[in-house]
Amino acid sequence: MAGITSAEVSAQARVAAHMADVGVAVELETPEMTLNIGPQHPSTHGVFRLVARVEGEKIEDVEPVIGYMHRGYEKLCEVRTYPQITTLVNRIDWLSGYANEIPFILAAERLMGIEAPPRVQYIRTILTEMARIATFLAFLGVYGIEIGAITPIFHAFRDRERVLDLIESVTGGRFHPNFNRVGGLLDDLPAGFLAETAVAMDAVKRVCDDLEDLILGNDIFRERTVGVGVIPLERGLACGVSGANIRASGCTVDIRRDEPYLAYPELDFDVVTDTRGDCFARAWCRLQETREAVRIIEGACKALPAGPFMAKVPKVIQVPPGEVYQRAEGPLGEMGFYLVSRGGRIPYRVKIRTPSFSNVSILPWLLEGTYMADLIAIVGSLYFILGDVDR
Amino acid sequence: MAAKSGKKTLRRGSPEQPKPAVGLVRGLWRTLYTLFQKTQVVQYPHVKEEPHPRARGVIGLQAENCTVCMLCARECPDWCIYIEGHKEKRPPRREGGKPRSVNMLDRFDIDYALCMYCGICVEVCPFDALHWSPEYEYSELRITDLLHNMERLGYWDDHRHTPPPLEAGAETKGKK
Repeated sequence: MAGITSAEVSAQARVAAHMADVGVAVELETPEMTLNIGPQHPSTHGVFRLVARVEGEKIEDVEPVIGYMHRGYEKLCEVRTYPQITTLVNRIDWLSGYANEIPFILAAERLMGIEAPPRVQYIRTILTEMARIATFLAFLGVYGIEIGAITPIFHAFRDRERVLDLIESVTGGRFHPNFNRVGGLLDDLPAGFLAETAVAMDAVKRVCDDLEDLILGNDIFRERTVGVGVIPLERGLACGVSGANIRASGCTVDIRRDEPYLAYPELDFDVVTDTRGDCFARAWCRLQETREAVRIIEGACKALPAGPFMAKVPKVIQVPPGEVYQRAEGPLGEMGFYLVSRGGRIPYRVKIRTPSFSNVSILPWLLEGTYMADLIAIVGSLYFILGDVDR
Repeated sequence: MAAKSGKKTLRRGSPEQPKPAVGLVRGLWRTLYTLFQKTQVVQYPHVKEEPHPRARGVIGLQAENCTVCMLCARECPDWCIYIEGHKEKRPPRREGGKPRSVNMLDRFDIDYALCMYCGICVEVCPFDALHWSPEYEYSELRITDLLHNMERLGYWDDHRHTPPPLEAGAETKGKK
């Protein structure tokens, strides 16, 4: 230590202590760093935060932080009457408001022992599938943006607008229809709806071909998605992944076919599956399911029976005591309501099983060991809505 | 491979791979084709789209029908309707009878900053005092201005649309 004065030593010690305090030197020197993606990030479909520990480009560990959009719907349902709750459940998954109403209304109807007339079942089926088309077209457009393709979103949203327009012409609301009532619907279809549906469905079929050209056939898109973010079937089932995400991994589960509700048993459609389980397969499954939804709508429009739009129900909706779990195949996966009633106008407890919450739970496992560049591709391909995660 | 003719039998994008660069060319061709199509955008402030007659734009109040029963205010999920009223004595209907008491509406406000546009109030109204109107142009610079009073709600009620006819096969009875 010859040549270094004690003053210099103490100065060095001061600097070292300062750096340890600030932590600058420590973080710059180690290759590991913590990266916050979100909560305000355009590719997270809401306020969703991913805390990623990265080493260079490689992701070591990811922790999804959820709850920023928690609105307390389960608790709120305990102090609202049944007709009021349908307007709340619209807002759980805001891209497919109509599809959210179905499991809740079916649960209430099952507890009350009411069966809606056949015409109601068909109209509900048509509108649910329209919500599905709107959601999947939004996915196919937005996923393109996340991968780096700007064009598809304009094609997808142009024809998504047609579908939303049809939903509005029937229900009065584009996103929050609040059209279902216990035992039926608010009103019947307006005149000209079936003719306009036929036109819009042709447009949707065309835009599916366009999107196939623009995204799924695109070499760059394939490079970025094929073989990326593979969900093995066992892992997906263990995490409770549902919907197109698990069908892309080779599981032929579809509640519309397995546990028929509404008019699905009378309609002709295929369950789209893939065995690859990667991001591309998930996008591909959603595109094909859009086509299947068009098939369902066209079949339902042809077979639409005449009849009343409301069953005989008491003026004040009072549900007898009991418990029921009703699930339905929402656009994002299995959506279920566990409804506990102790009689009266208000449910005692409502547990909402939302698909996005389970789909997000596979992210830490899925993202471990992948590269930063693939993160957005994987997160986008799971397609969760933050309102649906946090509810 | 069957990229062109396979449209009917083979789904493109399926596990069978297209040839390299074919996808790029197809996508670029699609973009070029769309460039010469009719534009879909409606230039909003200059051109306006006609809203659907059922569109839930704004709620109008027909004040003379209101009996201050408070059903709408009670059923509203977020309690955005404010109603005040008082009772007035009216001469009896028959000679020598008791004087009638009538509810008079003093205040009927809807706070559109809170409203969820669910339509429950319109549905529960037993005297058809509330109606939907598809009007939508009432944005304000201050949130307090979204509290619409009786006069404004009456204006909306004058601009309501007649309900559309129903699709074939619909039973019309039972609709109020």
